[in-house]
Amino acid sequence: MTTTDLLSVQGLAAGYGGALAVRGLDFAVAPGTIAVLVGANGAGKTTTVQVIAGAIRPSGGTIRFDGETVTGLDCPAMVDRGITLVPEGRLIFARMTVEENLLMGALNRRAAANLARNLDRVFALFPRLAQRRGQLGGSMSGGEQQMLAIARGLMAEPRLMILDEPSLGLAPKVVAETFGLIRQLNAEGITILLVEQNVRQSLQLADRAFVIEKGRVVLSGAGPTLLDDPFVKTAFLGL
Amino acid sequence: MARRITILLLAVLLIAALTTLPFFLKAFHIRVGLSIFLSAGFAVCWWLLAGFTAYYSFGHTAFVGIGAFAAALALRAVPEAAPALQLAWSLGAGLVVAGGIAAIIAWPILRLRGHYFTIAMLAVALVLGEAVAAFPVFGGSTGLALPNLAPMGVRVEAFFYWIALALLAIVMAVAWVISRSRLGYGLAAIREDEDAAQMLGVPTTRFKVVAFVLSGGLIGLIGAVYALNLGYITSDSVFRGSLSLEMIVNSLVGGMGSILGPVIGAAVMTGVTKLVLADLLEYHLAITGVLIVAVVLVAPDGLVGLWRRRRAQSAGR
Repeated sequence: MTTTDLLSVQGLAAGYGGALAVRGLDFAVAPGTIAVLVGANGAGKTTTVQVIAGAIRPSGGTIRFDGETVTGLDCPAMVDRGITLVPEGRLIFARMTVEENLLMGALNRRAAANLARNLDRVFALFPRLAQRRGQLGGSMSGGEQQMLAIARGLMAEPRLMILDEPSLGLAPKVVAETFGLIRQLNAEGITILLVEQNVRQSLQLADRAFVIEKGRVVLSGAGPTLLDDPFVKTAFLGL
Repeated sequence: MARRITILLLAVLLIAALTTLPFFLKAFHIRVGLSIFLSAGFAVCWWLLAGFTAYYSFGHTAFVGIGAFAAALALRAVPEAAPALQLAWSLGAGLVVAGGIAAIIAWPILRLRGHYFTIAMLAVALVLGEAVAAFPVFGGSTGLALPNLAPMGVRVEAFFYWIALALLAIVMAVAWVISRSRLGYGLAAIREDEDAAQMLGVPTTRFKVVAFVLSGGLIGLIGAVYALNLGYITSDSVFRGSLSLEMIVNSLVGGMGSILGPVIGAAVMTGVTKLVLADLLEYHLAITGVLIVAVVLVAPDGLVGLWRRRRAQSAGR
């Protein structure tokens, strides 16, 4: 763990009403990279990112972001510091239009000041959303809703964007598009923390990957290297 | 821009017309207008919380009662002051005490969501009503009398008519300003999906507390006027379940989607019960019930929603 990491998590413990879903979890994300958390259902991936986003209070451990200890801060404080979570299941505002959904992403003070600029930027990145700015969020396809969720996250000007299962329920072609988009956002300088069950594609993307089992990191390394790891092969790739 | 000026002009004209109306009306009709303004004011305050955040309170009469008793007790402290000062003092007491108690109960009660919040507010109203009835400070079951603060030469009903009209204009202005602010957008996000709103960095707890305190405090303000107009209050007359119900029904009948909804709903429901059904006392509640069912069936989004849908249809043709 070096001081140059954008995000570092040490000894993290968190759970729900006494039952710990995460215990003693360590990992770090270097600035400008793509990090991936992989693991089976119930391994503690979503809990981990919910804690980092401030939605769940940890019961132990420390989280540092950009040199500052941010353990236990709430969501608005995390968003203000530049951590944005695109949650599992997308959580689009179904009865609001595309544009209203995007405005909701810019409710923190810092991003509200640059609203017009960010809206232009997001519409340039997602021309399809620009065409449909008046359409209701709930009336769009799953892939479009995922685009909207990512676009809404961008409205908060994140430095670290956390994506929880962005490929969930999407057609293979749309999954490929989504991963391409993540690569593009990373190229624009946004550090990415990705949680995925789609192990093969996400490892190909990962500068660094962490395999989580029962709330702990059991294996880590460069993504493509892990693809050849015998444990990963038998556990996740069915080889 | 031109449209906004037109709306502003219309609002000013409407307020001016309503202000001069008491000079031409009989006392009974002035009282009907007064009732409409009071119930519209209550409904707008209830809607301030429910319409923005979808936190439906079944116990907002608690704040009517708090405002009413705060005003009555505040007046006991200054029996000799000038009536204008007494008026300001008692209205201020209603606003501050109701807002203060709202702030105290906000934190625990807003941790509840959906039906749990609704039922908890019902309990708050019941408990406060019983507590007020039990303690001698509040007059127990005999209640408290309030002095007549209307200036000499001004008819009492017209005096309170003007005050209620002014307060209605104020709470509508507050709701309108909120709907265009960061607070309003944040509250709308909470209404649509509170978890998503939180993830996006909306300070959900703080925003909900602000909406709750504004809603409760402003109801306390109008509750003080309600008490002054009654002249005599008991726990039963101001901590009254039917007051909570009226706020909800008026907002639903008028429509939850717009600030005009609660006002139109209050005007229609109060107008119908006071004018049309005044001579049919026995059937009054039954007919009110039928009316509510009819509105729910014909116009599930309220009268404002019905009008909007009609307009959208004719525009589409």
